[in-house]
Amino acid sequence: MRSYLDLIPISYKVHKKQSLMTRFCIILAVFLITAIFGMADMEIRSQNVQAKWNYGEWHAALKGMDDEQAEMISMWPEVFASTRYDTLNYRLGLDYKVEGKKAVIAGLDESALDIFPSMKIMEGGFPSAPGEVLVDDNMRKQLTLSIGDKITLKTPENTEKIYSISGITENFPLLMKRDVYGLMMNMDDFRQLSLKNAEDNYDSILYIRFLPWCNIQKTISKIQNQFQLPDDKITRNEILLATMAQSRDSTIIYFYTAAGVLAVLVSIAGSLMITGSLNSNIAQRTEFFGMLRCLGATKKQVTRFVRKEALSWCKSAVPIGLIAGTVVVWILCAALKVLSPRYFVGMPDFGISIIGIICGAVIGVLTVILAALAPARRAAKVSPLTAVSGNADSQVIIRKAANTRFFKIDTALGVHHAMGRRKNFILMSGSFAFSIILFLAFTTMVDFMNHAITPLRPYNPDISLVSENNTLSIDNELVKKLTGIPDIKRVYGRMFAYDIPAQTAKGEMTVNLISYEELQFGWAEDSLIEGSLKEAVNGNGVLTVYNQSNPIKPGEKITADFGNGVRKITVSGVLSDCPFNVEEGEGILICSEALFRSMTGEKDYTIIDLQLKKNADDGISDEIRALAGKNVQLSDMRMDNAQARGASLAFALFVYGFLAVIAMIAVFNIINSIAMSVYARMKQYGAMTAIGMDSMQLLKMIAAEAITYGVSGIISGCILGLPVNRFLYQYLVTQRWGEQWYIPLSSLGIIILIVVFAVLLAIIKPAEEIRNMSVADIISWQ
Amino acid sequence: MEIVNVQNLSKVYGKGENQVRALTNASFSMEKGEFAAVVGESGSGKSTLLNCIGGLDVPTEGKVFLNQEDIFSLSEKKRTIFRRKNIGFIFQAFHLVEELSVEQNIIFPLLLDYQKPDMEKVDELLNVLGLYERRKHLPCQLSGGQQQRVAIGRALITQPILILADEPTGNLDSANSRDVMELLMKASRQYQQTILMITHNRNLTTDVDRVLRVTDGHLMDMGGKRA
Repeated sequence: MRSYLDLIPISYKVHKKQSLMTRFCIILAVFLITAIFGMADMEIRSQNVQAKWNYGEWHAALKGMDDEQAEMISMWPEVFASTRYDTLNYRLGLDYKVEGKKAVIAGLDESALDIFPSMKIMEGGFPSAPGEVLVDDNMRKQLTLSIGDKITLKTPENTEKIYSISGITENFPLLMKRDVYGLMMNMDDFRQLSLKNAEDNYDSILYIRFLPWCNIQKTISKIQNQFQLPDDKITRNEILLATMAQSRDSTIIYFYTAAGVLAVLVSIAGSLMITGSLNSNIAQRTEFFGMLRCLGATKKQVTRFVRKEALSWCKSAVPIGLIAGTVVVWILCAALKVLSPRYFVGMPDFGISIIGIICGAVIGVLTVILAALAPARRAAKVSPLTAVSGNADSQVIIRKAANTRFFKIDTALGVHHAMGRRKNFILMSGSFAFSIILFLAFTTMVDFMNHAITPLRPYNPDISLVSENNTLSIDNELVKKLTGIPDIKRVYGRMFAYDIPAQTAKGEMTVNLISYEELQFGWAEDSLIEGSLKEAVNGNGVLTVYNQSNPIKPGEKITADFGNGVRKITVSGVLSDCPFNVEEGEGILICSEALFRSMTGEKDYTIIDLQLKKNADDGISDEIRALAGKNVQLSDMRMDNAQARGASLAFALFVYGFLAVIAMIAVFNIINSIAMSVYARMKQYGAMTAIGMDSMQLLKMIAAEAITYGVSGIISGCILGLPVNRFLYQYLVTQRWGEQWYIPLSSLGIIILIVVFAVLLAIIKPAEEIRNMSVADIISWQ
Repeated sequence: MEIVNVQNLSKVYGKGENQVRALTNASFSMEKGEFAAVVGESGSGKSTLLNCIGGLDVPTEGKVFLNQEDIFSLSEKKRTIFRRKNIGFIFQAFHLVEELSVEQNIIFPLLLDYQKPDMEKVDELLNVLGLYERRKHLPCQLSGGQQQRVAIGRALITQPILILADEPTGNLDSANSRDVMELLMKASRQYQQTILMITHNRNLTTDVDRVLRVTDGHLMDMGGKRA
C-alpha cells in the first residue's frame, strides 16, 4: 500500500456486498436517465423521419412568389434547397386523363428531390428537356411503360398532349388510394399545360429547406420582411420544426414545456435514487471516515478519499448504466425497423443518443460525488472515542424513542428505523414517490397518443374496390372469386342505398341503408352501446349509429320504401360509431345482406373491401384489378396503412417503453434501497438476534420498515403525482383537444400495485439471507 | 447445581487449505452463582467459545448443556427463544438499540417475548444500576459507562440462568470498568447469577471465582477461589 487512497480497493473487498449494491443503484439511476433521455431522443428522430416522409423536408412554404423572387431566395446562404411547386387537378374535379384514368399533374423544380424524400426516382432522371415527365411505378406497371415511352394526356378541353417519360418514381400513397395517375413535369411545361404564365403564380408554392443549424424562424422573418409577405402567405412545417427544436407554434411550445417537466422529473428521480441509497449506509461510512480523521487524516484528505471512492464506483457503474440504457434504445429502434422497415429506414441501426449519454453520465457522476461527500462532512464532527467505539451511529440524532406502547416491539422498531432519521426517511420515501410521480407523468403520454394518433382498426381494408358513382354495380360473384386468391385474407362487401325518406315515431328523416356480412357485424360488436346484434345478424332487425340530434332507441320502428315496396323494420341495436362519415341529422341503418336484398331488390355491391395476407405480393393489385374490370376503382391503401401503422407503432413503442423502464426501475430501486437499508443495520440486527429476537420478529421488523417507506412513498407519490399528471394532461391534451382531466385510476392502480409488489419482494430476500446466517456472522457483518 | 456443561466443543471455520481450528475439544462446567473469567490472547478462540455456549454460533462438534438442556438439539426458533429467556448478553460495544430509551432497552428481551414487564422490578433494577433518573434518555445521550450499565440491566431483566459478557469493560475507562465489575459481582453474589466473562484485563480476574485460559483453541482451567 503506497498511499492511504489504496484503502479504496481494500474497502471494496471488505464491504463487497454493500459496494455492489451501491454500484447497482448507480447503474439503475444512470440507466433510467440514459434510457429515458435516449428514448426521447430517438422518438424525436423517428418523428423527424416520419415528418420528412409524410410532409417533406421543407421548413417554410411561401405562396405567391414570382420566379425572380424564388431565384433570389434560393441564393440565400441559409437556404439548402428550394423548389417551386404547383398542381393541376389535385381535387380530381377536372377531366385530365391518361388512358381513361384521371390524372393529377404536378409542376416542380429538380431540387424538389432534395426536399421530398418520398419522391424517389427509381429509374431515369428528372425531366430536363421540354415535353418530359416523371411517372410513378404504379402507372408504369399498369400501362407497361418504360423510359422514353410516349404517353398521351387528354385535357378537359379535349386536346391531347404527348409527353415522353424521363423517369419513374416510387409510388405515392395518395395516388394509390385515389386510384389515379400522377405526372410530374418541370415548371415550364406545367405552365404551358395549365395555361399559366410566370406572373400568374398565385397558387404556386415555393418550398424552402434551410441548412440544419441555422436559426430558421429568424431567417423566415427576414424573408418575410424583405418580400413584404403577409402571414397567411407563409406556412411552416411545424412538426418537422418541432423535432428540430425550432418551432414557435403554441401547441409545440406546450409540448416542449411538458417534455421539459418530464426531463426534470427524470433527473430528480435519478439523483434521489443515488442519494437515498448512499444515505442508508451513511452511519457506517461516517464511522469509517471518523476513524480516518482520528488517525490523522485531514479534512482535505478525507474529501479526496471520498471523491476517489465515489469515482471508483462511477468508473464501472456509470458505463454499465450508459450501455444498458443505450441497449434499450437499440432494442426499441430495432423493434421499429422490424415492425415497419420501409417507414423507419432512416432510423440508425445502432443509434447513439449523445444527449442521453451526457445526461446519464453527468447527473450520475455529480450526484454520486455530492451524496458521497455527506458522510465525510459528518465525519469531521465525530470524536475520536466515538469513531473507535463503533458508535458513530449515535452521531445521527435520534429525537424520539420508538413507540412500544401502541405497537409490538418488532413493528415499533421497524417503523422507527424508517422514520427515525428524517433525512433518510425523506430520501427513501422520496425515491419511492418519484417512481409513482414519473409513472403518472408519463401516463399522460398515453392519453396524448390516444388523441393524436388514430390507430388502424381491425376493419381497415388494404384495398377497396369502389363502384362507379357509388352505385350497386359490383358483381356479387366477385366476392367468391376474390376469396379464392391465396394472398387475400378477408373479403367483405357492402351494399348502399342512399338518401331514403323514412318515417319514424318522431317524424320524417332521411336514412342510408348499408348491408353488413358476418365479419363486419363481428367488428361492430365493440361499438354496440344499446340493444343486441343478434336480430340484425339474423335479418330480423337493423342497427343504427348513435346520432345526438335524432337518437333512435332499440325497439323503434322505421317505415320506408327502399326500392322493393314499403317495409316496416325494427331497430334492434345502437352503435356508438361506424367506419363511415355520418352527416348531422342523417340516419344510418345497418342490416344483413339478405334483408338488404329483400328490401331493395338489388343484389350487387357498392364496395368490396379486401385485407391481404402479411406477405402478399405487390402485384396482387393487378390481379384484383383484372378480376374487377375497368369500371371499378381500385383504391390501394397499403402505403397509407403502413404510414398509419408506423406512426402509431412508433409512438406506442416509445410511450410504453418509457412506462416499462420506469416500472422496472421502480421495482429494482425499491428492492435495492430496502436491501441496502437492511444491510446497513446488520450489526444491530445481530445484537437483537443474540438477545432473543426470532426470525419471524426480524421479518416483521424489516417488513414494518419497508411498508412504512412504501406507504409514505405511495401517499406522497399520489399527492405530488396527481397534480403533475393534471398539469401535463392540460398541456398535452386539454389545450389541444379540450378534453378535461380525470383522475387516472387505472394507471394509479398499476403503479401502486408495482410498488406494493416490489416492497413485498424487497422484504423477503434480506430476511431470508439473515435467517440463514449464524448470529455471530451477523454481528461481525462487514 | 450445574448450570453450564460444555462437552468436547470444537469449532472449525473454512474448508481445505483455508481451514482454521478455532476451538478444540473444550470441556468444562459451571455451578449456579459461579463467576468465571475466560482469558487468552486475541484470536485464541475466547469469543468462539462464548458464541457457541450462547448458541450464537453452531459448533462443529461437541455439546452444550444449559440447565440440563442440550441447546443444539433445539430448533433454531426454539434456541432463540431459549436464549431470550435464559441467557443474558453483555457486549464490548454495548449494542444497545439506538431507537429505544434506557428503560425500553432494559425491558427489550421481555418486549420480544410480548410480555408486560413488572415495572416495580424495572424501577428497582434502574435504581441498582444508577440509571433511574435517565430512564427516558436515549443511548446517544449516555456516556459509555452508562450505556454498558444499561446493557447489564438488559442482561439481568429476565433473571437468566447464565450471563455471557464479552469484554464488558473493553470500551471503558478504569472508573467505569470498576463500576461495571462491581455491578456484575453484585449480581453474582447477591442474586446467585452465573456469569461467564471474557476479558483481557488480568486485574479483573482477581475477584472472580474461576479463571479459564484459551490458548490456540485449547481450554485450560486455571482454577480460582472455588477451585
